[in-house]
Formats: sequence, structure tokens, C-alpha cells
Amino acid sequence: MTVSRRNFLKAGIAASTASMAGLSLGPAALAAAQETEADWQWDKAVCRFCGTGCGLMLATSNGRVVAQKGDVENPVNRGWQCVKGYFNAKIMYGQDRLTQPLMRMKDGQFHKQGDFVPVSWEQAFDEMERQLRKTYAEKGPEGIACFGSGQWTIQEGYAMNKLFKAGFRSNNIDPNARNCMASAVVGFYSVFGTDEPAGNYDDIENTDTMILWGANMAEMHTVLWSRIINRRMAAPNVRIVNLTTFRNMSSDGADLEIVFKPNTDLAIQNYIAREIIARDAVNWDFVNKHTIFATGPSDIGYGLRPGDEYAFPAERDIVAKELKVTLDKYEAIGQRRQEGEVVEQNSRGNPLAHWSISFEDYKKALEPYTLDFVAELAKGDASEPLEDFKAKLQQLADLYIEANRKVVSFWTMGFNQHQRGSWVNQQVYANHLLLGKHAQPGNGAFSLTGQPTACGTAREVGTFSHRLPADRLIGVPAHREFTEAHWKLPAKTINPKPGSFYGKIMRDLEDGSVKWAWVQVNNPWHTHPNSNHWIKAAREKDNFIIVSEAYPGISAKVADLILPVAMIFEKWGAYGNAERRTQHWREQVPPPGVARGDLWQVLEFSKRFTIGDFWGELPVPGLKGDGYEDGKLPSVLTEAGEKGYSADDSLYKVLFATADNMKYAWPDPVAKGRDNHTVNLLGDGWFVEKALWQEYVHFGRGVGKDLADFDVYHRDEVRGLRWPVVDGKEGTWRFNEQYDPYVTKGAGFEFYGKLAKAIPSGDLDGVTDPTPVPLPGKAKIFFRPYAAPVEQPDENYDLWLSTGRVLEHWHSGTMTRRVPELHRAVPAAVLWMHPEDASERGMQRNDLVWIESRRGKIQIRVETTGRNTMPKGMVYAPFFDEGVFINKVAIDAACPMSKESDYKKCAVKVYKV
Amino acid sequence: MNLSGIVVICQPQKLSAVAQALSELPGVEVHFEDRDQGKIIVVQEALSIAAEMNGLRRIKALPDVILADMLYHYFEEDPEILEGLMKAGRKQSVGESDLTPPASMR
Repeated sequence: MTVSRRNFLKAGIAASTASMAGLSLGPAALAAAQETEADWQWDKAVCRFCGTGCGLMLATSNGRVVAQKGDVENPVNRGWQCVKGYFNAKIMYGQDRLTQPLMRMKDGQFHKQGDFVPVSWEQAFDEMERQLRKTYAEKGPEGIACFGSGQWTIQEGYAMNKLFKAGFRSNNIDPNARNCMASAVVGFYSVFGTDEPAGNYDDIENTDTMILWGANMAEMHTVLWSRIINRRMAAPNVRIVNLTTFRNMSSDGADLEIVFKPNTDLAIQNYIAREIIARDAVNWDFVNKHTIFATGPSDIGYGLRPGDEYAFPAERDIVAKELKVTLDKYEAIGQRRQEGEVVEQNSRGNPLAHWSISFEDYKKALEPYTLDFVAELAKGDASEPLEDFKAKLQQLADLYIEANRKVVSFWTMGFNQHQRGSWVNQQVYANHLLLGKHAQPGNGAFSLTGQPTACGTAREVGTFSHRLPADRLIGVPAHREFTEAHWKLPAKTINPKPGSFYGKIMRDLEDGSVKWAWVQVNNPWHTHPNSNHWIKAAREKDNFIIVSEAYPGISAKVADLILPVAMIFEKWGAYGNAERRTQHWREQVPPPGVARGDLWQVLEFSKRFTIGDFWGELPVPGLKGDGYEDGKLPSVLTEAGEKGYSADDSLYKVLFATADNMKYAWPDPVAKGRDNHTVNLLGDGWFVEKALWQEYVHFGRGVGKDLADFDVYHRDEVRGLRWPVVDGKEGTWRFNEQYDPYVTKGAGFEFYGKLAKAIPSGDLDGVTDPTPVPLPGKAKIFFRPYAAPVEQPDENYDLWLSTGRVLEHWHSGTMTRRVPELHRAVPAAVLWMHPEDASERGMQRNDLVWIESRRGKIQIRVETTGRNTMPKGMVYAPFFDEGVFINKVAIDAACPMSKESDYKKCAVKVYKV
Repeated sequence: MNLSGIVVICQPQKLSAVAQALSELPGVEVHFEDRDQGKIIVVQEALSIAAEMNGLRRIKALPDVILADMLYHYFEEDPEILEGLMKAGRKQSVGESDLTPPASMR
């Protein structure tokens, strides 16, 4: 580059940066900015990483991205970006990018023990098809599965969901979002009857108090954190509290830090509820009008696979607790039982059951959660004086309770990845509802998400094994009927039996009940805990695993077939962030090599099958349902014929390239000259992403999940829209008459969600009257007791282990580790531990050590300083690094209600190599 | 080569000193100063992203800098890597392909 060209660029970049930072510039500087960018095509886009959903501006030139800036027009980030977001484009250009299909081959044929060999798409799909037909003939719809993603574009998730549930009649499709926010979903469904938050990010600028429960926002949601810090600086009364099990970067910006023991957030929240009542701070007007009290069983197990058949010998003592638990002292007090009592986990089969209780019962249940009891149980740092900890708990209660003080509670994985994750979600709403501090600007419990479209794709599209689009469930006949009608399917095409959840698909592969699995936009063998089981199952069992991937991560390496994908800006797409904001982008650059988008892969593969292949009568063991013969899915081919389909029609034609969808023609002016590799390759001229979007939005309209038309999101002035979008106006605060058109006039507040809105009545011990009582418009205030973690440190495994992310890396690092600098900033995962825990074991910082649990062991380097400060007795390891494969050590216990794994607590020992 | 547009925030009364310190850093040019807001706009030039990020860290570590963040990022990919990626796999089918899987896959 010439000096003059360089200077010219610099002047332009400086002027552009200055104007983004809010400096007023003279005309010469503005002209410089414009001139520099003159040859580039700018377009708006959205960040590919966390759930915040920051807006970006991307510049392309000659088929590649040349520049990126934060989007100042975007209300989420207002021009700011975090260090990961800054490299959105860079992740596409790693040297080991997968650019062609690779299959394990021996002697020119697929072989499970073969080496990866480049093959054509034709060869790849031939083998995939052959394997699917073989497994389907042997096992039926439950023998196949899909590991989906909270990073799928909305259209990708929608298409795969439809292919599985309508085409293959299999509900074995579940996203990695299961391990990210499923507990939040149970919270939303059980408390409000509808998924996703009442509030939005503007709560930050409207509140006086922000309380972080297991959300290290300074590292994981940095752009929102900068909004929080700005709010703190702007208003002297604003307070920030960080509740955590170890000191992290968010503590630096907090006014109050509370370090608690794993699982005792259950007890702390009950202490707050007890204080609200004891200080006569219940907002009775709100509570009487808009809520009821409820509880449910506590003997629900821990989400482990029961029995010894597949357990490693060392795991057996913990696995046995899945069926039978001896109560410890604190659990006994918290549950009003006797220490040492053996409790059979009899409600494992129905953990979601709940019933209404009286306020008197609710109050009685909270009685044990006094300051003394909770402080003794919950104090997480042994070196902190008990009285100091007590004072902090009181301050926390003060902040929630103070009249006229607005409060927002934020949480992510600390709550969600929790053996009682659904309970802690319910509890945080309980406290906000008791105080009447919910669903108002600056007041509310706000669930943050970890993935860019866990909301948009996983939850709203319903790509879970038990869900259908827009809050509909597989298990509800009317929801299946609505879906079948809209998809123009014969009645009873959709299998009424929910499929396997994410961790269950792993267990199904292990026990051989699933033998064909397709992975898209996630890395299950890296990220699902207790990995030794799953890697062995993938490599040693008779099964066929397809991984659509951009880079060779662990899942690609255990696969039998790797399909190279187009990455974020190499395809059209849409994401939905944590504040219900849906944002679309255009394809900016072509994918490399013969890599192709996940959507193309789904649609092209669907061309290989006919409805006749799947829509005849099928055996489905365990299927039960009104109108179904036990164990059978009926043939729907006769009705299909009446609808004008032939048994020879392809799934592609019946599900995707329908007459309605073919009306959306490509090219389309909305593209503004951008290309579309999916459309080009399919070759039949319909605008796939737009057609599927328009088909999809029908599900949410009129039921509080209204999305706008495709073209609206692509307008120059639109930076995403928060749903519900009603009469062209985006949603803000849900359930609040002042803001939400769905609330009945005069109601003030109305929790209008429809799910689980008729429940039996009972007391703290169980149901006393099974008659379901309807609760239209009301939310539930749940009592949930303290429950001890299923595995706790003992003499042998004497430390707590928590795992999670670091700022610089995304999930399993397959993308971010390709950016040299992100890799260099945190090159290998380290084990943060207390210096005394290290020295007692004869270790020093940087020593290579073994970390071992009942499930596996790995080597890792010790870190005793830096961004995290561990209390004694606890260690922390990030999971991004495949060379430090911490999920071999982590436990696959889960919340039995949400089936979300608990990555935050298990017992380990650490010793020198 | 990487060019980044960086906003540096400091207390208004410290602005001159911070701007001076910034201008003394190799690869950094101070382009705009806003005294009222305590904002300085610099452009940093670096050979690699690694150098660019270390450079930002160096800026953040300067005395009296409250906040420094990149708002703008221009980069030029290594043309050889880009070429290689775009061409890969375009010649298809086993046997005739001259491509091998990445080293980590073998």
C-alpha cells in the first residue's frame, strides 16, 4: 500500500470513528470519511456471538469484507463492540477453514474406522441418505436425531425443524440452547405461561438497581455491561450487586459483591422473600390482582441416567443418588424434614407438576430461611467473617425492598446451568412479583441469553424436542393440529410423542437407540458434559454422525461425515436476541471452496426423499395419545392423496418448494444487488429465506409473538424490531397495559400466557384437590426449597469445580481460536485456584497439574492471579479449549425440569503431574 | 495490515497530557480531540491483529485513560490465504482432487 493511500485511509477512519464517538466534525473531515469508504459497499448486519445482539456495519469490496464498525444507529450497542464482536469478519478467514465435504473412507467406501477423504456433495449425500434409510428401517423415527443450535439462523432452524417433525415424523431434534437457557424457559412457561422476557435492554437506563445472579456480564455481555456502568456513572443512587460463587470481573464494577456456595442461591432468594413478608413489603394490590401462590414436588432427581449399566465404576455412588438421597442438615431444615432421612426420588417422572397453595402455606414454607440459617449455609468465602456476610445479605434485601427503588435482576448460566435451574428462575420472579416490581421500565427480572439466537431460533421457532413454533407444544393436540393445518399436512403427520432432549440424544447414541445424527452450528462432543461417554459412543458404536462445520473442532473429528458450511455473512439470515429483537442481514460475501449454507444442506437433502418414505404407518414404541393406537403412528398417505400429494412427491416439494413459497421470486429488489448462494444452488428461482420467513411469521401473529414482514427488517432505517410488532409498532414491556397491546384495557397488568394456566390445589405436601382451577391473566409465585447439589466435595474429590466462558473466546473456540490475537490473549485454558489451595498441594502458578473427577481427568495449568479470584475450596476452568477438555471432568447432572446440564458445580481433585 | 479507529476517554482536564502520551506511541496518530467530552480519536496502524490488540492494551494502560475501545476496524487479508480458501474443493471428487484434509483431521 502506498503512503498516500494509507494516509488517506487513516484520515477517513479517524473521521468516521470520531463521528461514531459523538464528536462534531468540520465538513472537511466528514468528506474524508465519505471518500475513504466510497469504493466500499456498506451494509448493516448483526454480531454472530453472544445473546446481546449488537449491530455492525460491514464493508465489502471485491467479494470480501474489508472493514467493520459498530453500528451507531443500533439501539443495542450504539456503535460499541466487544473484543469478540470486533472480529466477526475475521473468523471467516482461518487457514484451516473446512471448504469441502470430508468422509471417513477405506478402499473407496465409507468406513467407520477410515480416514477423512475429500468427497463431492453428491457422494456425501449418497452416504447420508443410505445410512438414514438403513437406520429408519431398523429403528423408525426415533432412531435418527439432530443436534441443533441457538446459532442457527431463524430460517435454518425453521427448515430443519420442519424436515424432522413433518417430513421424518421425528421429534428427536434439540438445540444446544437446551444447555444454555432451557431452565429460563421452564421459568417463563410455569410462571407466566409464555416464553421470553417482559422487559428489554432499556430497563438498564430506567432502573436504580441492577442485581447480577450468576451472570459475569463484565466478561460475557460486555456491551450491556458498558451500558450498566454508564448508568451507574450517570446517577449517584444507582447500585450494582454481583452475586457469584467466586470473585470475577463484574465485581470490579459492583457496589456489593456476595460470594455464595454453589446452589445456595435457592436459600438466599428464600431469605429475600421471607424478608419481604417480615417487613410487610408485599405489594398486596399487585399480588391479589395478578398472582397466585404455588409449589411442586422436590423429589425430582438430578437429571442423571439412572442405573449402573453405562456408568463408569467411579461414577456409581453419585449416579445412585438419582433414585435415592439422604438429606443433609441444611436440606432437611430447608425442606422441614429430618437430617439423614432417605428420600426416594419418586417425582422424577413428573418434575413439572405443580399446584396452588395458600399464602399462609407459602409463608410457612419460608419460615426456616432466617438470616442466621441462610448466612451459615450460603457464605462462600471461608475467610469472610459471618457478620460481614450477614450484613451483605441484609443490604441485598434492603435494595430489593426499598419503596420506590427500581430493581432489575439479571442472570444467565449461574441460574440456568443449575440442578435446580428452573426453581431459581421461578424464585427470582417470585420476589419481583411479591414486590410488584415486574414488567415496568426499570423494574423486572430479566433473563439474559448466551447465544445470538437462542431466543430467535431455538425458542421462538421451537426447535426443541417438545416444541413447535410460537409457544406451541408437541404434547398439545390443538398445537399439533394448528401446525399441521398451516403446513398443509394431513392430520396426525406430527408424532405426538416428544423426542429426546440434547443430553438424551447423547445417551441414545451410547445405548444404541439413535444411530443417525446430524449436527448443525454447534459442537456437541466438545460442549456436552461428561464427554468420555459420548466420544466413545460416537467412535465405537454402530452409528453415522454428520457434522456441518466451518472448522475442525472436536465434533468434526469424531464425525463420520463433515459438511463444510457457509458462515454468518456468507448467507442470508436472521437472529433474535435476548430482548426479543429480531434482526436480519443479507449475504455479504460468497462462501469459500464448495462450502454451502446449512439451509441449502437441509433443502438439498430433502430432495432425496418422498413422503411415501415416511408417511406410512410406523411403529413408535411408547407412543400413547388420544386417537392413536398404542405404539403406532398412523399412515397419513390417504389424506395426503386427498390434499393433492402423491406418495412420490419429494419432501422438498411438499415441505419447502410449495406453491405458496415459490411465489417469492429471486432476484428481489430487497437484495440491493447482493447475491444468494442458497438460491443459486437450488436453481429453481425462489427466494428461500424470504419465503420461509413469511411462512414462519404466521405462527406468532395474533398470539403475542407477532413478527413483521421480511422486507420491513431489511429497510435501511430499521435496526431490528422487538416483538410483538403490532400495527407496525415494535413491542417494549410485555404484560403492562401502558405498553402492551395484548393486555385487556383496564387490567393494568395481565400475564396472558396460556400454558399451564389451570392447576390443581394443594398444600406444601402435595395436591389436595386435583380439579384444575383456571388462572387467566395471572402469574405464579412459587415456593422452592433449598436442595443440595447431587455431588459435593468429599475427602477424595475435595474441591468444587465450576466451568464457563472467557471474554475473548466463543463457546468451544472453533471460530475465535482462528483469530490469532484472540488465541494469543488466552492461548490455553487455565485453572483458576486460590493460592493456598495451590500451595497446600505443592503447586505454583503455571504448574501443569491433573484435574480429576469421577468421570475423567485432564491436564491444565494453574493460575492463581488474574481476572478471577477463587475462594478456598473452589476452582474454575473455561471450556473453550479443546486441548484442555474440561467437559471430560464435568458432570452431566441437569435440572430435571428443563434438562439443562449443570456446568457450575461438581467435585474434583487436583494434583501434580 | 490493520488500521483501527480508537476512541480514548479521559477526564477533560487530563486531555492534553493523555493526547501527548498517545502521540508518542509508535504506530499511533492522534487525529481529533474533544476537550469538553474528554475524548481523543486515534488511528493505530499494525502489521497484524496481534500487534493491533497489544497496541490497544498499551493505550488502555496509559495513565489517566478511563476507557479505550476500537470502534472501527479495517483489515487486509493475506491474499494467499484468501485465494487458497476460495479455490479449495472446486475441483471435485475423490482421486482427482489434489486437496488433502487439514493436518488436524489426518
